[in-house]
This record gives sequence, C-alpha cells and structure tokens, in this order.
Amino acid sequence: MKTYLAQRLGIAALTLFGMSLVIFVLLRLAPGDIVDILFSTGGYVNPSERVAIEKELGLDRPLWVQYLDWIRHLCVGDLGKSYRYDLPAWEIIRPLIPVTVELAVLSLIIAVLLGVPTGVISAVRQDTALDYALRVVSLAGLSMPSFWLAMVIILVLVAWIGWIPPVTYVSPWENFPLHAIQFLLPALAVGYRSSALMMRITRSALLEVMREDYIRTARAKGQSEKTVIWSHALKNAILPVVTVIGIEFAFLIGGLVVTETVFNLPGVARFLVQAISWRDYPIVQNLVMFIAVVVILSNLTVDMLYGVLDPRVRYGS
Amino acid sequence: MMRFRVAAALWAAVAVSSLATNAYAQTPKPGGHLNIMLREDLSQGFAVHETSTISTSYPSLPCFNNLVFFDQLKRTESLETLLPELAEKWSWQDNFRNLVFFLRKDVKWHDGKPFTSRDVKFTFDMLREAPEAQAKLRINPRKDWYTNIEAVEAADPHTVVFRLKRPQPSLLLMLASGYTPIYAAHVPPASYRTGCVGTGPFKVKEWRKGEYVDYVKNPDYFVKGRPYLDTLRYVVIENRGTRVSALQAGKLDVSFPGETTKTASEQLKKAVPQLVVTPVGQTVSDNIIMNVKKPPFDNPKVRLAVSYGIDRRGLIQAVHQGGAVLGASLAPKPWGVWGIAEQGLQPLPGYGKAADMKDKARKLMAEVGYTPEKPLKVEIVTRAIAVYVDMASFVINELKQVGIEATLKQVETAQWHAMATRGDYQIGANLTGLGVDDPDANFYENYACGSPRNYSQYCNETVMKMIDQQSQELNPQKRLEMLAGLQKKLEEDAARPILDWKLDYFTVWPHVHNMIPHNNIYNFGRMTDVWRDK
Amino acid sequence: MAAEPATVEVRLAGAAGARASREGIVHTLVRFCRKKPLGAAGAAIMLVIVLMAFFADVIQTHDPIATEAADTLARPSATHWMGTDHLGRDIYSRIIHGARVSLMVGVGSTIVASLFGGIIGLLSGYIGGKTDLVVQRVMDILQGLPLLVLALVMSAALGPSIQNVILAISIPIMPRAARVIRASVLSIREFQYVEAARALGVTHLRIAFRHILPNTVGPFIVLATAQLGSAILVEATLSFLGLGVPEPYPSWGRMLSVSAAEYAQKAPHLVLFPGIAISLAVFGSNLLGDALRDTLDPRLRGA
Repeated sequence: MKTYLAQRLGIAALTLFGMSLVIFVLLRLAPGDIVDILFSTGGYVNPSERVAIEKELGLDRPLWVQYLDWIRHLCVGDLGKSYRYDLPAWEIIRPLIPVTVELAVLSLIIAVLLGVPTGVISAVRQDTALDYALRVVSLAGLSMPSFWLAMVIILVLVAWIGWIPPVTYVSPWENFPLHAIQFLLPALAVGYRSSALMMRITRSALLEVMREDYIRTARAKGQSEKTVIWSHALKNAILPVVTVIGIEFAFLIGGLVVTETVFNLPGVARFLVQAISWRDYPIVQNLVMFIAVVVILSNLTVDMLYGVLDPRVRYGS
Repeated sequence: MMRFRVAAALWAAVAVSSLATNAYAQTPKPGGHLNIMLREDLSQGFAVHETSTISTSYPSLPCFNNLVFFDQLKRTESLETLLPELAEKWSWQDNFRNLVFFLRKDVKWHDGKPFTSRDVKFTFDMLREAPEAQAKLRINPRKDWYTNIEAVEAADPHTVVFRLKRPQPSLLLMLASGYTPIYAAHVPPASYRTGCVGTGPFKVKEWRKGEYVDYVKNPDYFVKGRPYLDTLRYVVIENRGTRVSALQAGKLDVSFPGETTKTASEQLKKAVPQLVVTPVGQTVSDNIIMNVKKPPFDNPKVRLAVSYGIDRRGLIQAVHQGGAVLGASLAPKPWGVWGIAEQGLQPLPGYGKAADMKDKARKLMAEVGYTPEKPLKVEIVTRAIAVYVDMASFVINELKQVGIEATLKQVETAQWHAMATRGDYQIGANLTGLGVDDPDANFYENYACGSPRNYSQYCNETVMKMIDQQSQELNPQKRLEMLAGLQKKLEEDAARPILDWKLDYFTVWPHVHNMIPHNNIYNFGRMTDVWRDK
Repeated sequence: MAAEPATVEVRLAGAAGARASREGIVHTLVRFCRKKPLGAAGAAIMLVIVLMAFFADVIQTHDPIATEAADTLARPSATHWMGTDHLGRDIYSRIIHGARVSLMVGVGSTIVASLFGGIIGLLSGYIGGKTDLVVQRVMDILQGLPLLVLALVMSAALGPSIQNVILAISIPIMPRAARVIRASVLSIREFQYVEAARALGVTHLRIAFRHILPNTVGPFIVLATAQLGSAILVEATLSFLGLGVPEPYPSWGRMLSVSAAEYAQKAPHLVLFPGIAISLAVFGSNLLGDALRDTLDPRLRGA
C-alpha cells in the first residue's frame, strides 16, 4: 500500500511537472505581444515604455529562465505577482477557492441525491416505460448546456418575479438563507447535469452486479428482493459511483466556468476566463496548476477508496 | 470666459432642457447606499493615467478630483459648463497663452496630508514627461493631450501657472476630463494600481478583485455637506444578460455609461415602468478605418465607394434599433456641440438617399474595374466584441451590394490597438470614443499625421493646417464654421467615414437623484451630489 | 459543458469490441435499431442534424448572415419561422447553418482526436516497454486537466478560428482515444492469430495495421460517439465565452451569448432555439452513444 502510494505520488509529481511545461509553452504561443495585450486598455505602448515594462515584469529574460523562475518559486509556495493587479497571485486566488469548492460540493450532493435513487429505480424496472422515461429525462440533463440552463433560470426569475439571486458574494455568516439561495440555484443547474451521470452509472453498475453469483446466492437463500438490491447489490455497485463522484468533482472545479459567470459567483473558473483574456500569466498558470492538483488528488482519493470499498479487496485480506 | 458667451447661445436651448428638471424639485436627503454597474474589473486599478478605459476611469471618479470639472448636473458638456473643483477659480492671461489656477486651501488627501500646488505640478510634469518630472508613468496614453504645455509652475502653494506654446482655449476641456485627475505627489504613481489616495468625495474601502469596489463617504470632503451618500459599491458583472437582469431586479441602481441600447431600455421600461431612462449622446462613433498606405484603399475612389456604399440610416436601424444619430467626425446637436446637423450632411458621401448612394458606389467601383459579379475581395478586421462584430456584419452585407466582398477577421481586444497602429490591416470596422466632446481632442488624436491613434494613416497637409487654425480660433462662431469645413473635407476624402454617433439610454431607478448622464461617458459619476430617496 | 466522465464509461468499454468483427458490426447495427429504440431515436436525431447541415444551403429560407434593418427581433412568423435576431438575421437559417459549424467542429475534433490518439495508442500498445511508459505519462499530462479548461487555454492561445477550435478540442480528447485503443491492442496482441502472423515473419507495421487495427473498430466507434456530444458542448461553451468559432459562421453557442440574454424578454426565441438545437444534438449523440456502447460492449450485452 505504502509503496503503491509513493509510486502514485511520484507519477503525480511527474504529471504536474509536464503540465507546467505544457501550460507555460501554450501561453507563450498566443499570438500578439504580451505587453500590447496587457496594456491594451491603455491603447498604445511606445517602444521605451515597452522596454521598461518588459524589464519590470521579467519578460526580457529568456523563456527558460522565466520558466525555471516560476517553478522555483512555485516549489516554495510563491505563486508570483499578478501582472494586472500588481499583487501576489496567491492573495487573489485564495478567496476564489472556497466559492468554487462549495459550489462543486453542493452540486455533487444534489447530483447524488437525484441520480442514485433514479438509477436504482431504473435498473430495477429495467426496460419498462419508467426506465425509459427516467433515462430520457436524465440524459436530457446531460445534454443541456449548463450555461443555457443557468441563463434560463436567471431570465425566467427576472421575467416572472422580478428577482434574481445576489450578484455579489454573500457570506454564510452574514446572511445564511441568502447565501444558501445564492449557491443552491447554480448548484441545481449544475447538479441536474451531473445527476444524469450518477443515474447512468448507478443503473449500469447495478445491472452488472445483479448478474454476479453472490446476488444469485442471496436470491436463492430466499432474501427479499428489497434486501437483495439495497443491501447487497447497491453496496457493491457503489464503486463506480464513487469513481464518477471523484472525476466529476475534479471536472467541476474547472468546469463551472460559465455557471459562475452567469450567476456572477466569484469562483476559480470565472476568474480563470478573465485572467486568460487579460493574459495574466502568473494567475492563469497557477490557477491551471491548482486545477491539475485537484484533478490528480481526487483521482488518487478515488483509487484509495477502491481499496476500502471493493469487496474483492476486502475478501482477499 | 466672456468670449464664449456667443457659442453659449447656440446650445443654450439644449443646456436648459438638459438641466435635470427634478434636480432641485426635492430636497436632497443624506445617507444611503447605491449599487452601481461595472461591466468588467478595473484595469490597472485606480491608475487612471495609465489606462484609456471607462472600466477604470468611471469607478475611480469618486476617489479623485480635477482642477476643474464638468458640472455634474448638466447633460451637454462645453466650456460653459465647467465648474471649479480643486481650483477655486482660474484665469486666462496673455491672450490664452497662460492659464492660472488659484487652488482651494481646505483640501486634504485621503491620508490626511494637505493638497498643494506641488501635487498639480507633479501630476502634469509626469503626464507631459517633462525633464523635471519627479515620477514616470508605466504607460502614458494621453501624453499627446499636453504637448502644448511648455511649463507648469507652482508659483506658491496655492497658485499654479500653465504656460502654453501657443494659445489653446480648449486645454481646459482636457483638464476637465474624467481622464485627468490630480495624483498625490507624496505617493508613488504605481501605488494607484492597487489603491487610491485621492481628494475626492469618497474613499476606497475595499477592492475585491473581479468582484466589486466599495467606497465610503469622505467625512473631510472640501464641499461641506457633501457627498450625500454614505457608501457606494461598484459591482463587476461580466455577463451582459446577468447585468441587465440585475438592473431590472433592483440588484443594481444605476446602469453602466454607454451600455444600454434603445431596445434594452424599452424592454426594461416595459418590465419596470418606474425606471428612469435618459437618452444621451456618448461621443462614441461607429466608423470605417481604411489603410490609405496599402492597396486597394490607397485609391480614394475605392474609399469613397465604401463610404457611399454603407447605408447609415439602415445601420442605425438595424444595429442600434434607432439608438444612434447621423453625424460626421463630430457629434451633432443636440447630442454634441460641434457636429454638422442632418441637412448639412445630405450632400456628403453616404448620407443621401440609400439607393442613390449605392448607385454612386457601384459606379465608382466599376471605374476601378469591380462589380457585384466580379467583386473586390478584402478582409475586414474588427474587435472580437459584440458591438463591433454586429456593426461589421452589417457593413459586410452592405459592401456586398456594391462589388466589395469582405470576409470578417475578428481581432482580440488585446491585439487590436497594436494592429491598427501598425497599419496591419486593409479595412476595419471601428468604434472611436473621444475623451471630451472637443475638436482638438478628436482631430489631433485621430486625424493628425503620425498620431498612433490615426489608424487609417491618413495624412493631409491642408487638413493639418485646418486643424491648427480651428484650435487657435477664439471666436466660437468662426470656429464652428471652420469645423464644418474640416468635417466636410474629411468625409469627402473618406479619411475615416463616420457611420453614426451612438446614443446611450442611461437607466436609473427612480430613487436615484442627481445621477445625470453626460454626452460624454468619461466625465460623469463623481457622485458628490447624488442622493437616494428611500 | 464537457461530458468529462465519458472516460469512465469508455474505460468500462475498454476491452469492448475486441471480439467484434467487421461483419459483426454491420449486423449488430441492424439488430440494434430494433432492440434499442432510444438508440434508434438518437440515430434519427443525428441523421436529421446531419441532413440539415448537409443541405443547409438548400433548405435555408434566408441568407444566414444577411441583416434586415426593418425586421429586427421579429417573433416567429410565416416568413421567419424562428424569428429574427437583433440584426434582423433569420434564426431558422442560422440554426441550420449552425448545425454545419457544430458538426464540423464536433466531428472534426472527434476524428482528429481518434485518429491521432488511435495511432498513438496502437503503436504504444503494440511496441510496449519504455515507449509505452513514456507515451502513457504524456497522456497523463494531457488528461490531468478537465477537457474544458485545456480547451479554454488552447483556444485562447491559438486565437479564434474554426481550425483552432477543432485543434483545441481534439487535443484534450486525444489521450482518451489513445487509452481505449491501447487497451484493446494489449488484449488482442496476445491472441493466437497475431502470434501466428508474427511467427510467419509478417512485419510489425503490417501486424499492427492489418491484424490489430480492424479489431479496434468497435471501441473506436463507441469512443467517437461518446466524445461527439462533449465536443459539441465544448464548442458551444467556447463560442458562448467568445473564444470559439468566429463570425460570420453562425454558431449555436455564440447565438446564445451577448444579445440573446439582453433581449430575452422581448425576444425569448433568441434564447430558446439555439439552446434547443445544442441540447438536441448532444442528446442525439448521447442516446446513440449509449446504445452503441451497450451493443458493442460484450459485458453489457443483453443486460
């Protein structure tokens, strides 16, 4: 177990290193001069100003020096300074994280609450009208762009009741009900989509498990269908569901871009889009690395959970 | 100031009607809070001198003061609507060669230090990059505004003298622009990128990056009893649909300058009838830039064909749903002060009857060998922003009918200015906003030989002479005549065909008083006199 | 938004069509329509969209980019079946031309990704050893980010154009294709006929492309349909954010950005129709993908 973990962490470090290279190179591929882009709001940067700015931001150094400098600082937890804000990148990124994490977690909870029970029902009633209906409804959720859903929610609210959720962040300590509404609405939009995945995976995992020998044994022993499904089958079908939760969490951290934009929530993903358009390299690079770390950690957690949840592993020990 | 009385008469009618009718009808109530719309986060913080975007200047206005500022309660700006701000009074001397400001003595910076003439000298030495300047800006986009200043002298702590190279009465207008706040000499200019030490009616309390800027009332403000409001919040909402919804739902009290189209305002008004909508000029024009240094637009015939080919009234109807007006290179009355009125425009290329104009365009194109069947193929550039793309889409459709087949190339905002300045394009659909509704600010920036903002690289000695002459003309009536000639000449040369001047349908909730939009988006929003009734 | 977790299903389907032979696929396709009504519905939706895209020039009622000053924000009517936008452009004509853009990007990026990913997976699985290890790590890196995030950064870096959007979406999908193909190659490699071919002295390249490649067609199809939906969604999202397909191509995602939401109360059709179009296209490819997976994945067959 320990060597396995060490190995996985090693691979993770390697992946992150590769990722840093990919992102660094990608951003430098962008057409146009970085100084022009950064100061496009100024209109025109004259040559002497350009030289001074390049020096100030360290852009006059060779690319590999800039890269090593970034990595060296990253290793000691220094994320560098935002080009646009002239402030430490960490100071800007830090308040964004809880917003996105809260939204992602809330969406996942909604997704599980909606998706798992419907998945079970669908599997139990396989190939009935109910199964088809549930599958179509959930697949529709997966097919609707969540930004469209978010737009429609806002537009319908404002058209019908002349009200929309708060447009600036409301802290839970300040006003909990308002905070809850502010997060629940976007979480519903996102959670509906994710619930489709939960439903599909629960259904197919359950169908697969029900064909296994031990389910037949349980049935043969005369246990009620209810007990068979809820205590034997579901317990073992939970594994793929956990996998999807892990993967979906990682996805949501970066994938909430448009939902956060439409609901004007100050999260990681919305800020990433802004920082990309400003070419604020220190912010973009570090936000992307942050998302990569979340992805890797949640994958790792899922794999670790396998060991705990997989009955085969349990039987073996 | 006396000399401008004549001109004043010309727009007096406008000025009177634009005096907010209910401004004095009610007694202002102190206290309260307003939420104000921003469409994107502040670029470069509060460092107004290092940007040219309203997204910085507008939310920075409550922090700063100018020497002189446009009367916030009057919609149409002119020399006549200037009010003293940090200067108690000013006087022109030596036939408009010297401008003397007598400063207020009771002004304190937000950090408690006293405001003196040193701060004024510091600011303008830095802006014009004088040898004796004590600080340097990272970028200085409006350096050209101040090329005519020879020296700024702090005669005593409360007197400043601007010595000019040649007479320039309209310098005052540039000094009154929202883009010309006075910086404090005792803090480094770079510090404005992250915070704001100003003298203005409000102090910055917190700037949450990408989220909002919070202001609190400056209790030591030099105008007693002002500001009325206790707090302000400028809320950043990047998504346009959400922005409009937030205003309609009352999450925002005030719309963003230049942001509300006619249709959007009608829709808002229908949903919330009590909203107050004020149509106002913006000093922003839709125009076509053509690179006169490169074929095919080095040929004046082709340029003229483009100008003739675009139905301006159709554009106003389609792209702005009627929310724009015809005009040449300066905004027409009553939306602006210096432009040519509609009947004066009729004979100019592109302003006549659409069908006749199209015929003329086709004839011109035929003369150079192109027809709608055998069209001239060009690439039209525009910024990757909806308002630009919409306009360009319309223009492409128009040009198709006269024998010009244009493909659209969208350029990221970030690369736009650099591309246009270098002349790396053939033809472009462009929007131009003026810092003030002033001929000098417009012509020196957009039409003068060698100016980086002269995107079409149009350079004509006669025109340069005309620009200089009108700038020095002290008689406003004569100046208006000279300007009519200049604008006519520019349209006849198709230097940069102007398609329309946009209007803004500035929208506020009825409980917001004294928030009067101006015909220039950059110069209102100090918030000193704004009050809330509720 | 990207249907990221398609990977899971693809992973489940990993060794899927190993046994599916060419004739088998044709056969199952026929049978599948009868046994999988939902899948058939998906196939029908996709067929309609493909036809729409193919015959867009024929079935359009207006030029999709022609503006009409007198008729802006018009409600759906006999002349404008789905109304007009703020520039007076016909929404119906823009929707059917938008199908062209969506499919071009969706199919284009799926093909590019599957092709390159497939070749990489094939070679890396067949050669094995250190090459395989290195390729695997590189794929790890590309998969370490959510599809949308990588596509966002890439399309911003490359600039807006239809080719760049295809590239920006295909690169993040590529590792998925590589994974799936590699997995089936690994299992096929051990089969006797491959060993026999090797014993007969057939060259590696020939073995890889003649004997192994045809047998990966099943998982390949499953993967491609599964990714098609996500590619269409990502394109719509990028275009919505202004980083996708530029004007004058009508793109469903961009039709929903800026003015749609602004004028939604006056002209709800601006928000409605493009959203429905995206949802239907993704819905169709998801239904089809699901049914194909069920059919081609032996473990789920008959389930």
